[in-house]
Amino acid sequence: MKRKFWLLVVSVLVITSMVLAGCGTTPAADESSDVLRVWIVWGDNPEQIQSLFDQYGAEHGVTVEVTAPVDLERILPGLTGSDGPDVLVLSGGDLVKSYAAEDLVLPLNSYVDSGLIDLADISEASVGQCMDGATILCLPWGADVYALFWNRDMFEAAGLDPNTPPATMEELAEFAQQLTIVNTDGSLEQVGFIPDFSWSHLDLYVRMFGGFWYNEDGTEVTIDSQPMLDALAWEQQFYNDYGADNVMAFTSVLGGYTSPDQGFYAGRVAMMVDGEWQVGPNFIQNYKPDLNYGVAAFPPSEAHPELAGTVVVQGTAVVIPANAPNPEAAADLLAWMLSPQIVADEMYANYNIPTSLTAAQDERFQSDPNFMVFIDLMNGANAMPIITTPISLELNDELGRIEEQVLHTGAEAQPLLTAAQEQYSQLLAEALAE
Amino acid sequence: MAESTIEKKSGRKEKAPRSRLEKRNTLLGMLFISPWIIGFIAFTLYPMVMSLFYSFTEYHARRASEWVGLQNYIAMFHDDLYWTSLGNTLYMVVISVPVLLFFSFVCAVLLNLKIKGQSLYRVIYFLPSIVPTVASTLLWLWMLNPQTGMVNSALSVFGIDGPNWFQDPYWSKPALILLGLWGVGGTIIIYLSGLQDVPTALLEAAELDGANWFQRLRHITMPMVSPITLFNLITGVIAMFQYFSQAYVFGAAASTSENALGAPLSSTLFYSVYLYQRGISYLDIGVASAMAWVLFFIILGCTFLLLKVSDKFTYYAG
Repeated sequence: MKRKFWLLVVSVLVITSMVLAGCGTTPAADESSDVLRVWIVWGDNPEQIQSLFDQYGAEHGVTVEVTAPVDLERILPGLTGSDGPDVLVLSGGDLVKSYAAEDLVLPLNSYVDSGLIDLADISEASVGQCMDGATILCLPWGADVYALFWNRDMFEAAGLDPNTPPATMEELAEFAQQLTIVNTDGSLEQVGFIPDFSWSHLDLYVRMFGGFWYNEDGTEVTIDSQPMLDALAWEQQFYNDYGADNVMAFTSVLGGYTSPDQGFYAGRVAMMVDGEWQVGPNFIQNYKPDLNYGVAAFPPSEAHPELAGTVVVQGTAVVIPANAPNPEAAADLLAWMLSPQIVADEMYANYNIPTSLTAAQDERFQSDPNFMVFIDLMNGANAMPIITTPISLELNDELGRIEEQVLHTGAEAQPLLTAAQEQYSQLLAEALAE
Repeated sequence: MAESTIEKKSGRKEKAPRSRLEKRNTLLGMLFISPWIIGFIAFTLYPMVMSLFYSFTEYHARRASEWVGLQNYIAMFHDDLYWTSLGNTLYMVVISVPVLLFFSFVCAVLLNLKIKGQSLYRVIYFLPSIVPTVASTLLWLWMLNPQTGMVNSALSVFGIDGPNWFQDPYWSKPALILLGLWGVGGTIIIYLSGLQDVPTALLEAAELDGANWFQRLRHITMPMVSPITLFNLITGVIAMFQYFSQAYVFGAAASTSENALGAPLSSTLFYSVYLYQRGISYLDIGVASAMAWVLFFIILGCTFLLLKVSDKFTYYAG
């Protein structure tokens, strides 16, 4: 009987081991390349994206399964397990270097060197977020840049020229004063400009003051540099002028980002910083088709006129996971995704900036002057890639907290930046040492 | 399975040899529960053991993790945000759990009154519990809108200028407690079952002795349902230490940054939210595992403490 008992125990352990082995990390040996899996972190329009990839399936006799959107917590198991994607499309390059530090993504140099992927056709500024020295960790599939939107009717009502946006950041602040209407009880009826409207744009502002929170090759943290202080001080003035509580009370009643009551659409915020998708069919045209607005490059500071036309280029980053069952098939699919026609079709569908220089010449883009503002900015001399490091996400979160404290509580920026400089310099050094 | 024993002259109990039938039953019993045992080992015990191991290592996804001893625990204790998240969580445990228990008990007592439409009222109070957490949180974000939301509109009737619930760090946690009050249907149901077990004879005897409604509630009903209160208290404390979904949605909605959780000003950065952020966003599995184990022992300690002191306020009939 004792023998039977132990036999039972051993059987349970063996079956458990088999269950665990089934959850293990070894890719299935007989994994077929007839099915390619694409995971996309964003998922605004899954049906459209699946139909796009069905074209590849039909052309190459394979099935492409698109999963979108994919939650962040699913990615790590996918990149380490046996049922992950062949191609992973991330919303930005923030995570790419931390994945690379864990050997979770394949360098793409060999596919570029072999001529499978034409790097010369890809906008240089958009590739920057993917580069680790000479190693290409990802490739961009559409880019985002931000510009200044202004409401012409509100400009006219405030006695400003509706066709002339502010030429400098200082002038923007003056315009904002003229465009702001305060009620008798001190609350805000209309606001000229809110620097963190919808979300933070600190990356753009700090570039306009001639710096960033990393040095140019991403090997040092420069979070306590003068441009950072200048950018935060510039942002803070809007909250100081209107009163932080008043601004927050004002923004809390504005409609959601995708609604007709969004502050800029509703004519309650006169100027905003936003991305190229706004001029497409899904945003302003959809929610407020009669909005009389203009769009132009965000102005530089008076101290840095040479930075006119500066944009920080970021956007979708595509990687091939290191555990992809068939990297060659994945690279073929990636090359197809980056081909000019597919880039043009996909970017036109979502109104994002085509990263293929050939695709940018597509008539569909060229005929839209508002959209061309963004394409010209991305391909301009002052287009700068977003600098990414293995600690990008962590540092961005800290910057969000600092910006929130400075703007919403009136905190002094210097001590916060100094403390963060010390903490994150060490963290980056440790991450790069690995 | 009860073991048969024989009493020896010395008074010492010894195991009697088990019959073939008992042995067969043991084997069959083990076989029947083996699916659970396998599931427990594979999906609970193994992850727990690995998590404990990872808490002492620098985790690498595709390489061998490096043993770092207590370094993750030291890093965790030197992290200001860790203490912020623990403080926020303790606030919810200390403030929110008693408030939710009191509210649930009051609702249960009212729903136990023999009035017309009693079943309908019970259904109405339970309904919010089955609304998905994310949906209910988004609904409350709308209800708590400082200028257009129903809560501040109701307050304004009494001349109260309602706060900016989700952008003011002083009001964000009370907002989450309000949200929690809406979903106490499960706790109410458990209280209701306890209230229905309170012996009517005791209540009637007290009434004959001249006890009023409140005295009967205070001196009979509350002691009789005290085991239920203890159960709800312990499960409430455990749930609040693991508070995540509502805070995740709420913090993301209140944040002006794309990634930052815990807005406004880290006031909704709870323990589980920060653990998620460290593990999933920053791939810092070692520190996240260390946080998980410290949380495990905090919850274990609190549960043990509550059970220890429960003798003073819990009455078990019979």
